[in-house]
Amino acid sequence: MVSRVQTYVVIPAFNEGPVISRVVSEVKRAGYAVVVVDDGSSDATAEEARAAGAGVITHPFNLGQGAALQTGIDYAVAERAEVIVTFDADGQHRVSDIARLAEALVEEQADFALGSRFLGQAPNLPPLRRLLLHAATAFTRLTTGLQVTDTHNGLRAMTRRAAAAIRLRQNRMAHASELLSQIAASGLRYVERPVTIEYTAYSLAKGQSLGDAVLILLDLFARRLYR
Amino acid sequence: MIAQLILSILLAGILIYAWSEYARSPAVAVLALFVATAGLYFVWVPEHSTALAELVGIGRGVDLILYIWVCLSLIVVLNLHLKLRTQMELITALARKIALADARAPIEEGNIRNPVRE
Repeated sequence: MVSRVQTYVVIPAFNEGPVISRVVSEVKRAGYAVVVVDDGSSDATAEEARAAGAGVITHPFNLGQGAALQTGIDYAVAERAEVIVTFDADGQHRVSDIARLAEALVEEQADFALGSRFLGQAPNLPPLRRLLLHAATAFTRLTTGLQVTDTHNGLRAMTRRAAAAIRLRQNRMAHASELLSQIAASGLRYVERPVTIEYTAYSLAKGQSLGDAVLILLDLFARRLYR
Repeated sequence: MIAQLILSILLAGILIYAWSEYARSPAVAVLALFVATAGLYFVWVPEHSTALAELVGIGRGVDLILYIWVCLSLIVVLNLHLKLRTQMELITALARKIALADARAPIEEGNIRNPVRE
């Protein structure tokens, strides 16, 4: 059995002032260490997060979610985290799912536990977005060979060893697929667990648009060509 | 005649610029010198560009020059794209280092360890 695991929850946030405090408090209440990576927000995201009890790292300017995740992972590794969880700032993830993913790492002796809304639930998921996510999943399955069901899910857990195998270079949204291709390349064990994603009016307004998806695809193709 | 003069002046400008850039980036300078010289030559002897075009299976000399121009532009764009991306990676690394150096620990200490399971 694992004794007293140090679990760090990394929350990348860009202008999430209205909701970050509630999200941080909920995660803190569950007993996890929280680090918020403020990605150059122009609002009070950093102050709100700190007041709610999170450690805060502030990018001097906006670099993108992938860059923010990598910064948070670097920080957690330096703080000797044993388990690192990535969690969205907009309140669409459930705190109870964190324990489920962290336990999966131990039970399955895996290095990555990936949340899947399609194994779990995603109430209020708009049909167009569902279609988009399925397309992205099909594409990533094809290119990485990983048999995953939900490739663009921000809720994941990884061990310290796994974090060392990851180096996100896609600063913008293409990092989700990049992470999966690095998991595939690392040869480390991964499992999927059902999670619930609750789409609120707030998270829907902030989510990726169709245009973003096209950009992600272009970016990924470009990466395959030149790297 | 007017077009030939204008083109000649522009190409001569590129020649001078390439010459002055030689110390900084020889490869680019030599390439620019070559392209500008070829350009000047074909501006004044367009028949030869047509002859060359027919040799490689293209109808007109102008078309040949257009195709070469498109290829060169694409190479330049690709090169710039890669350079910009490398630069972005450096900037990201720098910004991350600064951000991590200024990391602020949680206000209330002591709650770092969490007993997920015993």
